Amino acid sequence: MADPSLARRDFIKLCTIGGIAVYSAPSLMASQAKAPTPKYGEHGSPKFRLDAVAKVTGSKIYGRDLRSADMDGWPSAQGHAYLVRLDRVDKIYNGLNLDSLESNERPSKVITASTLASDNLGLPGFFGANAFVQEGTAPEYYGHAAALLLFDDFATYKRAKSKLKFADNLARWGDSVTRKEHDRPPWANWRIVRQEGAGGRTGDDVYSVMNNGMIFPDIKNNQPDWPTQGNESGDSLEQAIYHGQKLRQSLENSTDSFVLHRQYKTQSIEPMMMEPEAYNGWFDRASKTLHIVATVQDPQEVAKEAAHVVESSNLKGSVETVVMHSPFIGGGFGAKDHSIFSAYGLLAALYAGRPMRLANDRFEQFQSGLKRHPFDIDLKLAINKSSLKFEGLVADIKVDGGGRANFSGVVTMVGASAIQSIYYFPRNDINATCVASPGVDCGSMRGFGTLQTMAAMEMAVNEAADQMGVDPFDIRAANMMLSGDKNTQGAIPNMGLRYDEMIASARQHDKWVNRAANKQAYEADNPGYLYGVGYGIATKDYGTGAEAPAAMIELGRDGHIQIRVNSMEMGTGTQTSQAVVAQRYVGRLAHDVVMAEVDKWSSLQQFESYNPYFISQEQQDEASKDPRWTPVVAMASSASQSSYYQSHSTEVAARILFRHTLWPAAVSIWKASYFNSRYAAIDFGDIDNARWSGGKLTANGYPPLDLATLMDYAYENNMITGVMVHAFNRWAWAEADFAIEGKNETHTIDALALRQGDGSNAGADDNGYQLVERSRVDYPKASLNNAMVTYYAPAAALAELRVHKATGQVEILSTHSWLETGRMHVRELVEGQIEGGLVMGIGHTLLEYMPTDQTGPGDGTWNLNRYDVPKAKHVAVWNMTHEILPPLSDTDPAKGIGEVVMIPIVSAIVQGLHQATGTYFYDLPIKPKQVKEALS
Amino acid sequence: MSTFSFTLNGEQIGPLELDSDTAMIEVLHEYLNMTGTKFGCGIGVCRACTVIVDNDDGTSEVMRSCINNVGAFNGKKVRTVEGHATTKASGEVQLSPVQQAYIEGYAFQCGWCTSGMVNAATVLIEQLRREPIKKNQIESRIEEALEHHICRCTGYKKYYESLKKLIEETEELWT
Repeated sequence: MADPSLARRDFIKLCTIGGIAVYSAPSLMASQAKAPTPKYGEHGSPKFRLDAVAKVTGSKIYGRDLRSADMDGWPSAQGHAYLVRLDRVDKIYNGLNLDSLESNERPSKVITASTLASDNLGLPGFFGANAFVQEGTAPEYYGHAAALLLFDDFATYKRAKSKLKFADNLARWGDSVTRKEHDRPPWANWRIVRQEGAGGRTGDDVYSVMNNGMIFPDIKNNQPDWPTQGNESGDSLEQAIYHGQKLRQSLENSTDSFVLHRQYKTQSIEPMMMEPEAYNGWFDRASKTLHIVATVQDPQEVAKEAAHVVESSNLKGSVETVVMHSPFIGGGFGAKDHSIFSAYGLLAALYAGRPMRLANDRFEQFQSGLKRHPFDIDLKLAINKSSLKFEGLVADIKVDGGGRANFSGVVTMVGASAIQSIYYFPRNDINATCVASPGVDCGSMRGFGTLQTMAAMEMAVNEAADQMGVDPFDIRAANMMLSGDKNTQGAIPNMGLRYDEMIASARQHDKWVNRAANKQAYEADNPGYLYGVGYGIATKDYGTGAEAPAAMIELGRDGHIQIRVNSMEMGTGTQTSQAVVAQRYVGRLAHDVVMAEVDKWSSLQQFESYNPYFISQEQQDEASKDPRWTPVVAMASSASQSSYYQSHSTEVAARILFRHTLWPAAVSIWKASYFNSRYAAIDFGDIDNARWSGGKLTANGYPPLDLATLMDYAYENNMITGVMVHAFNRWAWAEADFAIEGKNETHTIDALALRQGDGSNAGADDNGYQLVERSRVDYPKASLNNAMVTYYAPAAALAELRVHKATGQVEILSTHSWLETGRMHVRELVEGQIEGGLVMGIGHTLLEYMPTDQTGPGDGTWNLNRYDVPKAKHVAVWNMTHEILPPLSDTDPAKGIGEVVMIPIVSAIVQGLHQATGTYFYDLPIKPKQVKEALS
Repeated sequence: MSTFSFTLNGEQIGPLELDSDTAMIEVLHEYLNMTGTKFGCGIGVCRACTVIVDNDDGTSEVMRSCINNVGAFNGKKVRTVEGHATTKASGEVQLSPVQQAYIEGYAFQCGWCTSGMVNAATVLIEQLRREPIKKNQIESRIEEALEHHICRCTGYKKYYESLKKLIEETEELWT
């Protein structure tokens, strides 16, 4: 164990919240990287992931791995906490019953609602109230926590937990209570109405969210109460109701249109990231420092929330410093983004008096971890019988948000806005409500609502084509969005749309072309089976509309390249891809990429002051006058966020470094050493002539210079050696002007700090950086929030399957995927996303199911013995192929594809099942029992 | 409380005084601070916790450390993921063939299932060294070795293909 008097200067200040300074510790990965390991490569594509050796050798890099003995400066004694969660909502809770515990099983402390009340402690505001069920009240949802039991050692904790875990008498229960369906207000309501104008699909809309703004209903009896009367010339709400009702009526009375009206249901899904959540905290009362190790996708947020919780409690003043240690995480899929688990870990740490570890086992993870929202979708799709053009879309969506709001509001919004899939609609009325329920909390799980809605649309398209007797690809070709078309919100998607290429390729695939003949042949050869082939396509938005990626790049005197980003490595390969991104400007893969950097960004001195989604234009205009204001300081990590958003910041930082250091250093060296500069002037030409070759910089035939040579010159001449940037994206990048070395430059960032030489210049801060104040900033308009989404990446899938007639068992025989991802950073990482997403989509379609009532995971008895996740045998592992569209050019950005890859396989399987069985299925998952019933 | 001893990656461990219902993975994590072996489900389904036991007859086998208490390993020779790589005189880490194949094949993403996958594949390779198989049996033997292992990130393909490539390139493993 290291020196316990670890100096405060070893941490780097992030910000101060109510007098509490928030710091991040040096990367935990750093200690693992000291041993020389096989080199992952220098140029081009890396030989393996940057984190590969640590992961394949079992190094301690994950949050769950870390005990107090691993942490520099912590006492070695490790305490363990047990979070007691309740398994019913229909009775009054009258307190814990720990009578069964023997003396060597008893906790050293018990934390309950009354404990928190006495200290004025609670949850971070995001999670709402009632961290623990108060005695005399009923739990609000299954798995609602009742108490934290703190144990001084593992053996005592283990004995107690073994006794209490499934005990029927752990809680004292009182009178029964009646739970009604709408006993709390809905978590969110959205209405997306659009009416195309006389100018058609590219003209001005008569009505759209983009033009007219968002609308919201009154809440009556805890349910949305939309007006019943619309008005074409009324206010925005009345106009929306008018156009929505008009569309709904036209679908009822249409004779020229084929109208498909179906109900689709999706289930509650457990993210089942392999690493269950864990938190280790040490509140060092002597130094007034709170240390946190947490398995989270949003370490910045967790650190800041800890400070907020303490600052607003009676413990104010007892904590002066929060130190966030950011490890790798073993999968997240959204379930480690704003999870309430960290809040309980914090409470355990605050009361413990020693390092205290709270770690879910898998039963507890099922009982309390964030889930994917179940959707009930009533969908009407109107299609012109002669042109096959879509004439209108009406959807009424009910989402079950579970016991706490979490991200239910935005998940519902994104799901609603995604139901159009790849298609253009001249008119739409999409009405989505997310209800509060006693189910386990739902959050931002992979897919973010779009898996549910987009798959439904594809199922509808396939069935409509079948019912109309037309080729589904003809319907797709007639209705796919074209570049420049508007989405259901009236916003134009960024970048070109290439659905035509994907559809053209799929309709020529031999498995599709020959599906009828193949079915006949297969079933003749395999009399116990039915054969089918199906197709689906989807386009998933990526981003949140409030992305705030920060990045910094530093080059050492020896040419060592270090990048730091605020993204977390969840397994998607962000760390590796960021090492590749900078290569374009620094000539080789970065030597080192530090993830989840929390507080180096203090050099940017930024602050935020409004909710970025609800800020008014006037507020934004006023706030942005302060050059240090930004709509969002830090963002959480998600699967689709890093390749586009994080890479943008990394690339801008690297480009500034190239233009201000590497290129001018090279020119100076060439002039001094390789040209008769005393006798003639030379123009080395446009900077665009610069080329990296074998890790060396050359231009116009002059000798290639390696990084060490260039950086030695840069350090010698006090040039820029480090660049730190922060960017903001609300469906477009913010742009700002900065004076760099006396020249005004415009960059798509909103904050910049630079390091010169070794960072010891006058004016440099503790990080060695000096802020470059922006002189102008242009943030995307606040009303661009109305677009809801604008960045899309498409994927498609073909599934070949067979159904065992006797059992209804569905077996995937082969899959083929298509993906348009722009410019790839690392092909193997993209392929990994395609394959992993496909498999998760198969699980969603055929295997994974949990009820949301008292028999569901909230009862604490669910685990992998009764929750089926896909194994290799379920996914045709040897017959999984894909094709990736080449980018339009090498200027294409890398698109966020971590979520879209799981969506199209859903409808592909459903359509394949239809070809096999003659039945369309609408409720997911499709289990053998349902298939067998359909066959009988 | 009972007393337990075993060999871990060649090092003698114990005697340890432990409650007899202490799972092996708890011994590794909480008493030996060896966390390369991963906890996944705790009920023996996902195989993330798989370790290797070396038998006296020179064979090896996989065992799940979450559902087997420490007593099941008493007196045995145990290998975990931390025990596969070696360190050269230069200090450079030398990975085992399975580890090398997995990293070059981009087999894993989050990496939580990797230690179990490494151990299962290592036992398979060791079995094939003793008893080579026909080349056309490679895929089915990989399926047998890895079929119960759950990975939530990758889709399994790169694990399977990496291992297949390693076996195909190691000629003494097949005939």
